[in-house]
Amino acid sequence: MSDLDHAISLLRSCKPIPEPAVRELCYKARELLIEESNVQLVDAPVTICGDIHGQFHDLMELFRVGGDVPETNYLFMGDFVDRGFYSLESFLLLLSLKVRYPDRITLIRGNHESRQITTVYGFYDECLRKYGSANVWRYCCEVFDYLALGALVVGAGSFVGDENEECEVEVVGVGGDVVTRLKRRDDGAGLMNAANPLQEGSAGGGDGGTVGGPPGSGASGSSGGTKGVNNGAVLCVHGGLSPLVDSVDKIRLLDRKQEVPHEGAMCDLLWSDPDEIDGWGLSPRGAGFLFGADIVKHFNHLNNLTLIARAHQLVMEGFKEMFDSSIVTVWSAPNYCYRCGNVAAILELGEERNGSGAGIQWSAAAGRGQGSGVARRGPGRRYRVFEAAPQDSRGMPAKKPVADYFL
Amino acid sequence: MNPVRFLKRDGGSSAEEKDRVVQQTDQDASQSRLSAVEAGYLEDPFAKSFVAGELQRRYPLINRGTYIRTTAIDKLVNHFLSSSPETPKQIISLGAGSDTRFFRIASANPGVIPNLIYRELDFRAITSRKIASITASPALQSLLSPQDLSVDQVDGSLVSKHYSIHPLDIRALHPSADFSASINTSLPTLFISECCLVYLSPTEADAILRWITTDFSSSVGIILYEPTGGDDAFGRVMIQNLAARGIVLKTLKKYSSLERQVERLRVLGFTDGQLAVSVKGIHDGWVSARERGRIAGLEMLDEVEEWDMLAAHYCVAWGWRERGGVFAGWRDVGQGDH
Repeated sequence: MSDLDHAISLLRSCKPIPEPAVRELCYKARELLIEESNVQLVDAPVTICGDIHGQFHDLMELFRVGGDVPETNYLFMGDFVDRGFYSLESFLLLLSLKVRYPDRITLIRGNHESRQITTVYGFYDECLRKYGSANVWRYCCEVFDYLALGALVVGAGSFVGDENEECEVEVVGVGGDVVTRLKRRDDGAGLMNAANPLQEGSAGGGDGGTVGGPPGSGASGSSGGTKGVNNGAVLCVHGGLSPLVDSVDKIRLLDRKQEVPHEGAMCDLLWSDPDEIDGWGLSPRGAGFLFGADIVKHFNHLNNLTLIARAHQLVMEGFKEMFDSSIVTVWSAPNYCYRCGNVAAILELGEERNGSGAGIQWSAAAGRGQGSGVARRGPGRRYRVFEAAPQDSRGMPAKKPVADYFL
Repeated sequence: MNPVRFLKRDGGSSAEEKDRVVQQTDQDASQSRLSAVEAGYLEDPFAKSFVAGELQRRYPLINRGTYIRTTAIDKLVNHFLSSSPETPKQIISLGAGSDTRFFRIASANPGVIPNLIYRELDFRAITSRKIASITASPALQSLLSPQDLSVDQVDGSLVSKHYSIHPLDIRALHPSADFSASINTSLPTLFISECCLVYLSPTEADAILRWITTDFSSSVGIILYEPTGGDDAFGRVMIQNLAARGIVLKTLKKYSSLERQVERLRVLGFTDGQLAVSVKGIHDGWVSARERGRIAGLEMLDEVEEWDMLAAHYCVAWGWRERGGVFAGWRDVGQGDH
């Protein structure tokens, strides 16, 4: 067994690895990450994950639900550390998998992958507690500076599941049963004319293929169908858009190898949130911006994107599509901070199948030729919803209060 | 944690152990207060005096919540103190723990002290510790008039002209309970319960409110600060998590919403006015834009969605029965005074 495989097996059982092994791992990771572009290209199929926040046992639950590395190709959209009790083990496991299987896992940077934030939200203290010095924290922070800022998923298929059903969205609830299936909204066909049948937690409605999830199962995250034709890519970024970035190419030009700045394009990509506003707004987080549907649709159109996948915001149902399914929030930390009572989700994008792939570029050109009224078609999306790992599997440190409340 | 093991009775912890767990919430609150002070949210030179051990830094959202809770209650207390300033008044803090409010008033607003009697009631374990902290601190003692100060640390009581600490299990308070020796029931009186009554059974908590509205002859008002809304996902996890620490929020189910808090106060005799607002409502509606900007700038708060949830699960409720006009300002607190 190589040192790396040994480290992986230790980390998989939630045991920290010795400091020299961390240094070695971080060194190798940096060598690998330095070669990556600011916006990593990723081929579908891929499983997209949101915030993890040191909830190691829930990360294991994620792998149980979504499949293991390298069998499943993963893309994690940042916020590996802080808040949970096992930031170190969670991040180092993901990082060692990255070094071991570089083409099967993509890690991009979240706003918590920062020196400043980790000193406030727990990762720094955890490293100090587990190693007695800040060295390991320092090695990890150096890796943070090399993480990509985003990823572009290409080659995602138009449908999910059985080819004959032409299903655009499938939601697999807690327990593994398909609880919702949405057919593609074809122009004028009116199959899905009940707009956004899943919005605001009402899992029923829609066509006969839609099955409501039990209330509170978290199987009712909101998703509508999209119309039109699929040809674009999916941009994955931790937070969202920036008023300083009107194209994916502009992201590629940033100098990312630094601490996350307090303002500017790099900061915005990691901090911003979509909101029901027009244009841009001030963020209540004190960094980044709020951006409205018009911004997303314009950006997607200009950049030939069908979807933006992002994380960063807790959504109680695990995922939430907004703005006619032009952007989705994916949240992968169930019962966040052991306090919030939410379920989590991951997003699976399949690969283009025979036949449909050939028509893509042609359809897109035709669509554009008919004017701007026809939206590009989003990829087929399968959301797998999952709950927190059972309490007895996690071995919570007894001396620390479980979560803060006002007492 | 504690080396003393109690015998289990009836398959659960002993009554003493349950009380002890509730008493420990006081240190938690004091630590939170100190954390908010150190981070710059609150000014409280006395916060340090009551904290045992090292500062435990809290997350920004907890600091923000501590700030909102403290300033909201301060605002209501100040309205009470500043209305009819010549009228002698009384404040009784239920389960006061290590609260610093009296000392903050005495140092920032000494003019109100001559007309004020400030009483704190709590378990003897708590009052003894508090009195030890006070006697160890010249700064705290300087705010008490030394001539008439009488301290019995074993008994856990401190009596001075304007400030007294009484060792008392507040479950003894109910209509016709005889406290005439220590508590004046004819003064206009404001009661404060900061996360206190919520640990009592609804019957015990209701009896205390009835005691206030039947045994006190003048104006009475009460400020409650409590968790609310236990029947959604966040609330259920809150109940579970606190139960794992042995903390049971006994009245939460009965008074689970702002409407129910208002109704509670009305039914139990605070007949002239009852209002309730969530901590989120206070943050968004009471705090001036400028002050909100100041506190937002103290720490980067990345817990926006969590804050919205946590702040929606705590409330301040206040009600009064007027016999003289001292609660005149309470109806409009939080409105138009930015």
